[in-house]
Amino acid sequence: MGQLSAKLVVAALALMWTGASAEAKSLRLNITADPSQMDPITESELIAGDIIRNMYEDLAGIDKDGKVIPVLATEWQASDGGKTWRFKLRRGVKFHTGRELKAADVKRSFEALLTPALKPGASQVYLKDVVGAKEMLDGKATELAGVTVVDDATVDITFTKPDVLFPIYPVRIFDTDVLTHGADWFLKESGGTGPFQFVGWKRGSEVRLKSFPGYWDGAPKIDEVVFVVVPNIETSLSLYETKELDLVEVPPSATRAVLHDTRYDGQMLQVPAAQINYLGMNQTKYEPFKDKRVREAISLAIDREGYVKGLKGGAGLPLYGSITPGIAGYAPVPKIPYDPERARQLLAEAGYPGGKGLPPIDIQATPVEKDDLAYFADQFKKVLGIDVSVKVVERATHIKQMNAGEVAFFPWGWTADYPDALYFLSQLWDSRSPYNRVRWKNVDYDKLIDRAQGEPNAEARYKIYAEAEKIILDDFGMAPLYVRMQLWLKRPNVKNVYLTPFRNLPFAKVEVE
Amino acid sequence: MLTYVARRLAELLFVLAVVLILAFAAGRLMPGDPIGAMLSDRAGDAALEQRLRAQYGLDAPVLEQFLLYIRGVARGEFGFSYRFVGVPVVEVLGDSLRISPLLALSALLIAAPLGVAAGALAALRHNRWTDTSVMAVMIAGISVPNFASAAFLVYLLAIRLSALPVAGWGTLRQAVLPVIVLALQPTAYIARLARTFMLEVLAQDYIRTARAKGMRERIVILRHALPNILVPLLTTIGIIFGTLLTGTFVVETVFNIPGLGRQAIQAIFARDYPVTIAVVLLFSFFYAGINLIVDLLYGVIDPRIRLEARR
Repeated sequence: MGQLSAKLVVAALALMWTGASAEAKSLRLNITADPSQMDPITESELIAGDIIRNMYEDLAGIDKDGKVIPVLATEWQASDGGKTWRFKLRRGVKFHTGRELKAADVKRSFEALLTPALKPGASQVYLKDVVGAKEMLDGKATELAGVTVVDDATVDITFTKPDVLFPIYPVRIFDTDVLTHGADWFLKESGGTGPFQFVGWKRGSEVRLKSFPGYWDGAPKIDEVVFVVVPNIETSLSLYETKELDLVEVPPSATRAVLHDTRYDGQMLQVPAAQINYLGMNQTKYEPFKDKRVREAISLAIDREGYVKGLKGGAGLPLYGSITPGIAGYAPVPKIPYDPERARQLLAEAGYPGGKGLPPIDIQATPVEKDDLAYFADQFKKVLGIDVSVKVVERATHIKQMNAGEVAFFPWGWTADYPDALYFLSQLWDSRSPYNRVRWKNVDYDKLIDRAQGEPNAEARYKIYAEAEKIILDDFGMAPLYVRMQLWLKRPNVKNVYLTPFRNLPFAKVEVE
Repeated sequence: MLTYVARRLAELLFVLAVVLILAFAAGRLMPGDPIGAMLSDRAGDAALEQRLRAQYGLDAPVLEQFLLYIRGVARGEFGFSYRFVGVPVVEVLGDSLRISPLLALSALLIAAPLGVAAGALAALRHNRWTDTSVMAVMIAGISVPNFASAAFLVYLLAIRLSALPVAGWGTLRQAVLPVIVLALQPTAYIARLARTFMLEVLAQDYIRTARAKGMRERIVILRHALPNILVPLLTTIGIIFGTLLTGTFVVETVFNIPGLGRQAIQAIFARDYPVTIAVVLLFSFFYAGINLIVDLLYGVIDPRIRLEARR
């Protein structure tokens, strides 16, 4: 007996030392902080999105090339000029709870996202134009009038105004029965249809998902995905080195070092992010910016290639337009040359030869961009003779001020939430958008955005995008800067990890050898 | 004695009340707010922002929010985290409540005896090569910052020799490096103080008397000298423990340990007021509690110090 228990102790110790899950095939990757949410209703931020995307699916998704593909819906059709959408649902899709997906689940998922008591997060905004959404948000209705269940596999959705991009919006469909399992249901289970299901979340340490054998597109070949919370990139790299992480997201602060380290050759994944970075020139806050020649001079005084190569360590692409490559509706635009000569001439023509006579101006952003600010201040002094002061402000305050149109001169980025160029065009430069932080206003541009939003034919819509993009570029309403390159490290024994402009695809097809 | 303890506990409560008010005010005075942090770049959607603010009760006047919070605390409820929707503060802190004190205590249990021994040894070999070399090592120990020694040890022991894990928490092996790194500076600090105190004590008349009586050197040191350096050292060790508790942040970051320091930073960045206040309260409680324990221990070590309730 004593011998047996001694053996057991030894076995238990051995297990502890080697790690119990040595047998399981797992994919381990870093996340820089705990996700703020784990359920598809409150979901609002990037890390939560990375995890939730592996458990919950939308009506449509993207493939590894960034193209829109059917997911939970197999086909969709607009009618009434984009005011109604009919979705045909995929048959035989099972939730993690074991139940089969039916059209009524679409309706219930939408309703959950519109129930204020459930504290819905970011994806709620994609439903705001559905008929009856406002009544639900105001607490006047408990059912969403605009969604009609035609049969088990067909659902109609009507809108108060045309919304041709609705099918590609990131809105999760899930089994709302989980909501009856207590307020903290998401710490115990998941109710999605995705390739992985929830196992556990050790706050500060890891989030563990296991493969869902009933996944409609075939059970994953790996047993589990472990998101390891590692705030420090140096620690992540050490863990990668000792094979304790298979996949590491490299933040901008470390890209230079990793890109130039030969140890990582052949292990890097690099794809431009669906994020544009621009230099905002707010005409309502700085008088000289009202003169197009001044704005053009600023744009021509930026050496985009040098900026990306030097300051960004080569982890980016120079940007000349308002749409990132790899996004539906993207079309190449002419390069903006780095032309100090012409820039100086334009500034002189505007009445400020050598920068003389220009009122003082601050260039403002958050502590993260302080190098960028210093770079621009120096560049504009050198090329144009303008005195630009650097102003670093706490992030939330900076965002608030930009939204209020109070910041005259700022470099900032904008990341698309769904794979269509209209995201950039409608949110950033439409004068009615709360995110038009440069306060650029052009009536023709706004009209084109309205037209695009009601144009269900993709090719016709892309033509409108090009027209609209040309208006803002020709007017130098802002100065495009660069597209950030996402950088990930992947161990050679891991296959089928697909990095897209919208981060990694769900790890449904990943293999670990 | 009992009245003294009761009095000190009442003082502790008062300190915590003041800390609570300050922490609450500091949170609200910081630029940015939880909803802003939550929405981040989407904070332009005024309707959504308004709705969220109402959901979290942040649209009420600050005083009203404060009273509501106090009422909760009085009932022993610290409310719900803003960052982790629907999760109580106690659960957010969870394991980190144990981890940071455990780390600090382990480091202290290594640092205190080792430091005292090294310091005493150096004092006994005053101005000889043992003294010089022990002190040289100790000065190096104080001068090298945590993150540097951590990086060096990780590179050597974890990456090069694969003797220990790089980072993480949960197994004994994972705890070895962080505890060593954390213990380095306190050991050196305690050793330097112990040496100074020891040199002072050794110059006292009673030591000369003891030696003159023909006592064996071992007895002189262990029974007559050592106990007398413990009282001043105790104060220092108390303070060091406090620093260790609140200063585990660097080590927690490098070794990826989900401790209190990391929680605090994350909560502050997210403007997660309830969690921030709870962490600040905890840290204050630890600090004040340690001071109380140290004061009580004086009486145990040195019978001459009597703990009476002062009038």
